[in-house]
Amino acid sequence: MRDSTWAFAIVEIGHLLALAVFGGAVLLVDLRFLGFGLRGQSASKVAKELLPLAVSSIGVMLLTGFLMVANGPVRYYFNPAFRFKMILFVIALFFHFVLQIAAARNRQARESLPFRWKAAATISLILWLSIGIAGRAIGYV
Amino acid sequence: MPSFLHFCQWLYNTHLSTSIRESVWVFPIIESTHVLSITVLVGTITVFDLRLLGVLMKTEPVSGVARQVLPWTWAGFAVMFITGLLLSISEAATNYYNPAFRIKLVLLALVALNPLIFHTSIFRKVEEWDLAKTTPFRARMAAVFSLVLWAGIIISGRMIAYLEKP
Repeated sequence: MRDSTWAFAIVEIGHLLALAVFGGAVLLVDLRFLGFGLRGQSASKVAKELLPLAVSSIGVMLLTGFLMVANGPVRYYFNPAFRFKMILFVIALFFHFVLQIAAARNRQARESLPFRWKAAATISLILWLSIGIAGRAIGYV
Repeated sequence: MPSFLHFCQWLYNTHLSTSIRESVWVFPIIESTHVLSITVLVGTITVFDLRLLGVLMKTEPVSGVARQVLPWTWAGFAVMFITGLLLSISEAATNYYNPAFRIKLVLLALVALNPLIFHTSIFRKVEEWDLAKTTPFRARMAAVFSLVLWAGIIISGRMIAYLEKP
């Protein structure tokens, strides 16, 4: 991929397209936990309906992200923004999906959610936002 | 269009343009905000388009999804538009020659027409097909156009930096 002019660009664009879909899906789930956005449906239903979209787009992001790193692993290894992003990513991945799957299975998650759900949704939003910023910073540091 | 080129060159030499371009952190911050707002805009519109296509939230009325999701889409759009304007001002003279930038502008004009047509035609009669699992053909067409055009905008937007001549 290093030898091709456009391979990296195509993989990176794929990563960005998946990011747009993933970001929207996660945003709507977290907003619902906070009591904004799709209030017409229960939090449990929103989490369940948007799960396939979130999982498939994160799958594309993992694949394209892996390809980009494979392009120059040593360069990324020493990049502080990349290290920071990977640590946050592992945390966010588990944190967010445990939260979303738990909500999808919990039929009791109705109109207004307890405070701990809202706190968890806020943490999830902050984590994903930081990952996005760290990801952009890889190219700058 | 030489007069427009002159305008772009004038814009490029303004204080605003130069200060964004030459600062270390302002450009990356505006750029990151631009990408994040695109995520909000395109991500939420994707959910609405997938509802129109009958993929997601099939039991929720279309008008309900529109009312709850589209305000976030518009919020994302506003931030995207302002930051995008600042970015294009900072690189006006080089963007003028950039084919990716030109394609992006055409796609943006087309994507603006889409909701204009959708909201003034088929969406007016939404109560007739609000709960339909398969929405009318024109609504599905609007969803497909929206998804394809926004993907094209992201692709051409990213290509601007690749095709930028130093």
